[in-house]
Amino acid sequence: MSRIHDVGGMQGFGPVEQEADEPPFHADWEAHVFAINRALIGRGVYNLDEFRDAIERMPPQEYLASSYYEKWLHAVTTLLVEKGVLSAREVADG
Amino acid sequence: MGEAFGPGDLVRTSHEDPQHHTRVPRYARGAVGTVVEAHGDYPLPDDRSRGLPAEPQPVYTVRFAARDLFGEGDHAVTVDVWQHHLRRVDRSEQESDE
Amino acid sequence: MSSEHHGPAAAVAARVRHVEALLEQRGLVDATELDQALEAFLTSASPANGARLVARAWVDPGFRSRLLANANAALPELGLSMGGGLQEQRLKVVENTEHTHNVIVCTLCSCYPLSLLGPSPTWYKSESYRSRVVRTPREVLKEFGLVLDPSVEVTVWDSSAESRYMVLPRRPDATDGLEEEQLAALVTRNGLIGVAAV
Repeated sequence: MSRIHDVGGMQGFGPVEQEADEPPFHADWEAHVFAINRALIGRGVYNLDEFRDAIERMPPQEYLASSYYEKWLHAVTTLLVEKGVLSAREVADG
Repeated sequence: MGEAFGPGDLVRTSHEDPQHHTRVPRYARGAVGTVVEAHGDYPLPDDRSRGLPAEPQPVYTVRFAARDLFGEGDHAVTVDVWQHHLRRVDRSEQESDE
Repeated sequence: MSSEHHGPAAAVAARVRHVEALLEQRGLVDATELDQALEAFLTSASPANGARLVARAWVDPGFRSRLLANANAALPELGLSMGGGLQEQRLKVVENTEHTHNVIVCTLCSCYPLSLLGPSPTWYKSESYRSRVVRTPREVLKEFGLVLDPSVEVTVWDSSAESRYMVLPRRPDATDGLEEEQLAALVTRNGLIGVAAV
């Protein structure tokens, strides 16, 4: 499905912003999201294609406004709830 | 699943914009390109993302002229496409597009 | 890293800690294992790996041929592999020449050969790069300071499936006397992606 993620050839985006000496993660939480996602996929809670699909299902405005790992976090929590691992209430009560 | 292709074959990507996850980018939909190579069999993400069983099938690197994709550009773009999303194009069919 | 004690960043950080705690309770993740996995990833995934492949290809024509023909089979010659992630991916190395220049993208998300290039830069994952490099690559390369002669053909490789791509840059001039290690030190991550000459 061509959703907001499918940006190849889309016009209007500005110059590519580069950050000198960028660290792999800009905050601890990003590293944790990265590791949690890998662990959950490794355990078979969901697969990589479901993960990508969950990112793609983000509302367009939210997708564009989110940083890279915020998108990951959205996908991880969406799938955890959809797969019945956690309840929406539990996730929200953070 | 479609037929098997070899390097140099002319192929057209599917026009379909499916109601599920797919890895054909919008800009390459319905475009005619040349197969660069087959690079292994993988399960179709369209099915894997929906929890459907997915047998591995060939994936091809397909080269497109930028002009055919965007109406501009002197470069080439390659896209890796699952066999499911490709159909053979006859040379005569391609000429009728121009 | 900036202070996480205030504002939206703090809220996200708290959310992640909360989810992680819930998952730990469920036995789905283990804090120590997460730390170890992160450590392993950060120490093993680096553009120095890609650079070593390039340097070896520059000095050894046989290796260069093997790398271009079947990169996955050639990687173990330098003790490298595409494994270590979720699954072993196919690697395709594409060679820059006098007449051709290659650049890599994943327009749909951010696919990238992590083990050989290290964690990807934010710009690679940005909508700006992903949207523009397939359509106007020369313009994007100019932003990175790379101006290509008009006679050079550009190919943009969109990593839309399970293959991961790495550019084999051209060996710079006046490097004949350099040892392999010194050659590797010339190769940058941007060169391996194709937004720099080397």
